Amino acid sequence: MTERRLSGIGVTPLSGVGSVVWYAPDADLEEPPEPETIDVDAETDRFERARDDAREEIRAERERTAERVGEAEAEVFDAHVQFLDDPQITEGVEAAIEDGLPAEHAVSRTFDRFVEQFEGMEGRMAERADDLRDVRDRLVRVLVGGDRVDLANLPEGSVVLAERLTPSDTAQLDPDRVAGFVTATGGRTSHAAIFARSLALPAIVGVGEGLHDVADGAEVVVDGTEGTLVVDPDAETREAAAGGEDVEIREEPVETADGTPIEVAANVGTQADLAPAADRGADGIGLFRTEFLFLDRQSPPDEEEQYEAYRDALERFPDGRVVVRTLDVGGDKPIEYLDLPEEENPFLGERGIRRSLGPDADLFETQLRALLRAAGDDAGGKLSVMLPLVSTVEEVREAREVLEAVAADLEAEGVDHVVPEFGVMIETPAAAFVAPDLVEHVEFFSIGTNDLAQYVMAAERGNSRVSDLGDFRQPAVLRAIRETVEGAEGTDVWVGMCGEMAGDPELTKLLVGLGLDELSMSAVTVPQVKRAVTETTVADARALAKRALAASTKAEVEAVLTETTQ
Amino acid sequence: MPERVVTIVPEDGLHARPASKFVEAANEFDSTVKVGHVDGDQVNAASMLAVTGLGAAAGDEVRLTAEGEDAEAALDELERILTTPEDEL
Repeated sequence: MTERRLSGIGVTPLSGVGSVVWYAPDADLEEPPEPETIDVDAETDRFERARDDAREEIRAERERTAERVGEAEAEVFDAHVQFLDDPQITEGVEAAIEDGLPAEHAVSRTFDRFVEQFEGMEGRMAERADDLRDVRDRLVRVLVGGDRVDLANLPEGSVVLAERLTPSDTAQLDPDRVAGFVTATGGRTSHAAIFARSLALPAIVGVGEGLHDVADGAEVVVDGTEGTLVVDPDAETREAAAGGEDVEIREEPVETADGTPIEVAANVGTQADLAPAADRGADGIGLFRTEFLFLDRQSPPDEEEQYEAYRDALERFPDGRVVVRTLDVGGDKPIEYLDLPEEENPFLGERGIRRSLGPDADLFETQLRALLRAAGDDAGGKLSVMLPLVSTVEEVREAREVLEAVAADLEAEGVDHVVPEFGVMIETPAAAFVAPDLVEHVEFFSIGTNDLAQYVMAAERGNSRVSDLGDFRQPAVLRAIRETVEGAEGTDVWVGMCGEMAGDPELTKLLVGLGLDELSMSAVTVPQVKRAVTETTVADARALAKRALAASTKAEVEAVLTETTQ
Repeated sequence: MPERVVTIVPEDGLHARPASKFVEAANEFDSTVKVGHVDGDQVNAASMLAVTGLGAAAGDEVRLTAEGEDAEAALDELERILTTPEDEL
């Protein structure tokens, strides 16, 4: 059989091989009965009960998604509840029942009217049509008593093909079993695409009508880098996808072509990120955000719960390092029980270490206790503790005193513990400037490029009007990185980087040249960065960094970078 | 009736997340709140369908009106949501 190729939009730089499982949610309805036979009150009751059940289901799915994928992705389900309870939907369905339709037909007709309206709109608004279909199909299924297709229990090595995948569908996919998915519709910013990136799943969207010609059970290769679906792949294509150059997973640590070891680690934001990080060959965790443990609940997690979470992470990386960042909240991240103040400029307000040494001192102490206990556990991995948003030497000194007090308490109580490696994030210009003074108090620095760029350039991260300024190719940002590395020169302090800049394989050479010892990024790009490290020599990298640092504009920096890749 | 004209900041406009926060907030107040393009029809701010149906994009000017005891407070909160970048909501 000769292979066939279909193209769409690749949404993750990953490839997968498997057999096709067509997913077509069955929402077909039989012909409605004669209007005279409808009991309007009974049907209205059925609709209301179905709506209550659907609401419960959506809430449960929201929780599972927050846990497995992330809080931001889970918020789409809030919109689903609002569509479900929308006054226009309720009125429409009730009117249709009055007209003599059974509840499921009334639901279907009412939603379809709005689906059509949204389909005609542009850009992200058209995605609301997907949300409405999702809510409609759920309500109809509850009403006709149908079972949902169980996407969570597909055979291992399945590649899911569908016209479209709703957020509810995508949230069910188990990355341990599913080799990827391909949809006929959808774009780079669709929910399905966002979920695929969070779960590190090979995926292609927007293939078009031609997708329907691919048979159930067919062997396929999903090439998420090129956006190509290969049907009936020949041996060569299959091998290239399974272990090909593009996705070679290097389990072992890497070094440059001339022998300098560079640690390549992954950033994790939820427990669900741990497995993909290990699967992609990360040496360890360079940034373990702990906020997820604290969000969406009525009170903070206790010491035991935190200890378990940190130990889980260490067990995943028995030979590596796990850098845990202490709680980084502030005016911009709402946590009800912390009673955060309203601030004019939350990014310049009481956040990160400023809260841990102030109003959240108790939380900080509990977190350190859990961390020191986890560090003392024989899980194998090495635990490091990192402080967010440091800007002065006093902050680090004070935090260290708390750390030592906590260690003394544990010692007195006879509780097993170890005082871990202690470091700071370099994400304010102040921290970069005082780096030579900070080295006396820490074992490592980790440069947080997203916030560092925001503060160096005084350009807010989320504001698209100033995104050109907040770019890490700006000379001022590169020079702040140089200040940091130079501050640590001649000492035992190692310097890492966590942030988007570290995950761009085209910048790996520059970062090696700037003197970074460790790079940490989202799991997806770990293999590409590892490969880039092995293709770099330190001498070349230093020459490149020198030219980039001499540039006086962002355009010149970019020119230096492209010149050398050609 | 108190009203306010606001320029939308979230870069993708009033789509799922900001719209959801907006509708949620509108439902929390006793006042009846309406929203619409400055030169267009006003719709119920407590309806997700109606609000997303406006197709309001970043940079668009919308008019908010509120009628009821807590009208000013409702307008303050809704204006805050419309002028906060999405990743800070």
